[in-house]
Amino acid sequence: MQMLVIIQLNKLIPMSRSRETKDWIFRLIFKATGLLTIALLVGIFLMLISNSIAFFFDVSLIDFLGGKQWSPDKGGGVYGILPLLASTGLVTLGSMVIAIPLGILTAAYLAEFAPSRLQAILKPLIEVLASIPSVAIGFLGIVLVGPAISNVFGTLSGLNALNGSILLAVMALPTIISVSEDAINAIPKSYREASLALGANQWATLFRVTLPAALPGLIAAVMLGLGRALGETMTVLMATGNAAAMPTSFLDSVRTITATIAIEMGEVPFQTTHYFALFAIAAVLFIITLGINLLGEYLANRLRKYHA
Amino acid sequence: MKRNLTGYLLLILITFACQPHQETIRVKGSDTEVNLAVQLAETFYEQNNDMFMSVSGGGSGLGIASLMNETTDIANSSRSIKAKERALFEERGIALDSFIFAQDAIAFIVSDDLPLDSISSEQLAKILSGEYTNWSSITEKDLPISIYGRQSNSGTHGYIKKKLDIEFSQYAKEMNGNGQIMEGVKSDYSGIGYVGAGYVVHGGKEGIKVLPVYDATHPVAVSPLDADKIAEGKYLFQRPLFQYFKAESREKVQPFLDFEKSEKGKQIIADAGYYPVK
Amino acid sequence: MRKQIIGWVNWFSLLGSTALVCLFLGVILWDVFSKGLPVVSLTFISDLPKEGMTQGGILPAILGTLLLTLITTIFAIPFGVSCAVYLNEYAQSSWLTSVIRSSIRNLAGVPSIIYGLFGLALFVQALNLNTSVLSAGLTLGLLSLPYIITTTEEALKSIPNSVREATLALGATQFETIKDVVLPLALPRIMTGVILALSRAAGETAPILFTGVAFYINSFTTSLNQEFMALPYHLYMLSTQHQSIEAVRPLAYGTAVVLITIVFALNLVAFYIRFKYRNRS
Repeated sequence: MQMLVIIQLNKLIPMSRSRETKDWIFRLIFKATGLLTIALLVGIFLMLISNSIAFFFDVSLIDFLGGKQWSPDKGGGVYGILPLLASTGLVTLGSMVIAIPLGILTAAYLAEFAPSRLQAILKPLIEVLASIPSVAIGFLGIVLVGPAISNVFGTLSGLNALNGSILLAVMALPTIISVSEDAINAIPKSYREASLALGANQWATLFRVTLPAALPGLIAAVMLGLGRALGETMTVLMATGNAAAMPTSFLDSVRTITATIAIEMGEVPFQTTHYFALFAIAAVLFIITLGINLLGEYLANRLRKYHA
Repeated sequence: MKRNLTGYLLLILITFACQPHQETIRVKGSDTEVNLAVQLAETFYEQNNDMFMSVSGGGSGLGIASLMNETTDIANSSRSIKAKERALFEERGIALDSFIFAQDAIAFIVSDDLPLDSISSEQLAKILSGEYTNWSSITEKDLPISIYGRQSNSGTHGYIKKKLDIEFSQYAKEMNGNGQIMEGVKSDYSGIGYVGAGYVVHGGKEGIKVLPVYDATHPVAVSPLDADKIAEGKYLFQRPLFQYFKAESREKVQPFLDFEKSEKGKQIIADAGYYPVK
Repeated sequence: MRKQIIGWVNWFSLLGSTALVCLFLGVILWDVFSKGLPVVSLTFISDLPKEGMTQGGILPAILGTLLLTLITTIFAIPFGVSCAVYLNEYAQSSWLTSVIRSSIRNLAGVPSIIYGLFGLALFVQALNLNTSVLSAGLTLGLLSLPYIITTTEEALKSIPNSVREATLALGATQFETIKDVVLPLALPRIMTGVILALSRAAGETAPILFTGVAFYINSFTTSLNQEFMALPYHLYMLSTQHQSIEAVRPLAYGTAVVLITIVFALNLVAFYIRFKYRNRS
């Protein structure tokens, strides 16, 4: 605060023309860069929308949303998004089945039972897990998880939806854990104390009082983790086999929306139907992840207001 | 301190921005050709260090599309350009030129556990299109067939499709490159895959075997690793490897093309497992 | 008795989950570092790739990643911080500004491949920058913007208004208030956010796929309009598309080690800053 005092003393000089002009100039600069930045980010929406519209001139919405085949080079090009949606859904669902229980239980342990020294070690470790680049996780999917799946399940290839699910779960866990932990910590102590005072043991308190009370926040955590898993590209590209057929089991090779974009974007001449098609599936993905993130944010806000 | 740091950062960046224009050649496309292109670029730099070259794979389709999008100077393609693509080039008013720098043979690989010594092109067509789904159709082993192939941007994929006149089975796994196909077939004893012969030469043949191919008109099975037969044009799946570029870029890329035609270039091509152009 | 068993089951599930998560981390780090560290030598990080990348080092990829991060920094910091300053200090609080804030926060959750598409459409195509380290750097800059804007805004919000009011009351202009008082106070938290955003950008592959990264370059990237090599892409290539995947596997592990180390180092710097200044109110 000493610096503050010194600076304040320096300002006890009369307002001059140049200081006023400087203020006005910088106000303009900040406003301009601010608006430019916002424009750029809005540009993303616009780009997706305009290119998707161009796509729907060539292919009908019904064919797109209901088509069971994605074969851009068959004949005039068949662009059905269902196999991609099904693949994306399968891998993401699998990852949530793994990550949600693990994440919430871990968060419960960290928030309620872990001694503070252990907490001080575990929380940074979880941040470390979050910082591992997706391409490194995908790499481990190829060299570690793939052969393991192949040995355990007797499949001949370890590159399938199960592999992708495991990897995505690992990527979503840190988000789920930290947001859940915040949610659980936000529940006032009085809830727990009341429950214990009424004779419940620590487990009944946890599972019947604390966690249910934290539910909006837990759902927010899951939504955010889900959003992370949906948007992953490299991990699924490397580890899921990339067959664009409707998957029938977790041991099938699948191709997600993100992987399709990554694979095909390089080979499309600009401004062709195939090019627009990729923007259309990107738009679908964008809408889905946006929806989930908005839902998560809304629930997280409700949590804050409820317990403020 | 913060101001100094920003100053240094900006200085570094301006240094980059104001470089005298170094000639750059971008080479993109075929995965079959990419490793060869890398080795050629590596040696070329030793001779001509004014030329900055960047090489990437991604498939012949990516190369040709990049050429159309003007994000590459040379498009490596292991298939000839499609009519549809030629039309798009014409539409955009781009005149194309091309150069054949080597010949390649496509090897069909299976696990060396599989009791199969050679295969006919008819059988290949049935397997790759998904008509045969079990190895029992052509061998004594009862095992579902697992296809390891490429994606639609691959020239190899396109070439086989055209040559066998099939659509690939929906259940064919689409690997990201020749390397992954080799890995797949090595670990999956029900697998069959197709790769450029150069990959087999360099990728190590443990665990896989290359099937010689025959058909009705050529009843003697020929292996893609048989240099003499390739020189005679007798292997059913041998093809020229192309490099496409804009006609107006010829002057810029000519030094590199000349290098590829030189003795040193030809040596590198042969060492990589490809065959010289007749 | 039943209650005891339930108690044990509950302990088991809680501790088990936590242990499993730690196990995941442990397995990842153990596998990568045990197989990769032996490969990382002084030659590995200072040599050019040789023999079709089956030997030699990964220096161009390291330099490429550093150059890319530099460009991202230079673009994202001024724009990001300005935007946050504008939103927090200058803009009128209205329905529009809250929509803008919400949009920016949600853009942080948009898949990175979509930023890659946008970078392709805007920088490579529309602005005609072609595939280059500049295009890719700007794309990563865009990717980092939402996160930098959000964390900078939170940093600015944490400075109590009384500080601003005091400075203004003493005769400073709004700009001087921001420049000499608010920003310096918020700086540690801003820097933490920036460094974390950069560490994420350094590890990204999808946005650079079509905006300028190359499999191989024959010398060092010395100009903004050239293509470049980068560590994440190098790892991707070595593990999926190289012709001798087995031969290069050790190199892939080495690349993974170098990449993860750089990302960790950046995170540690951010962590240190946060730790050192956490008591400043």
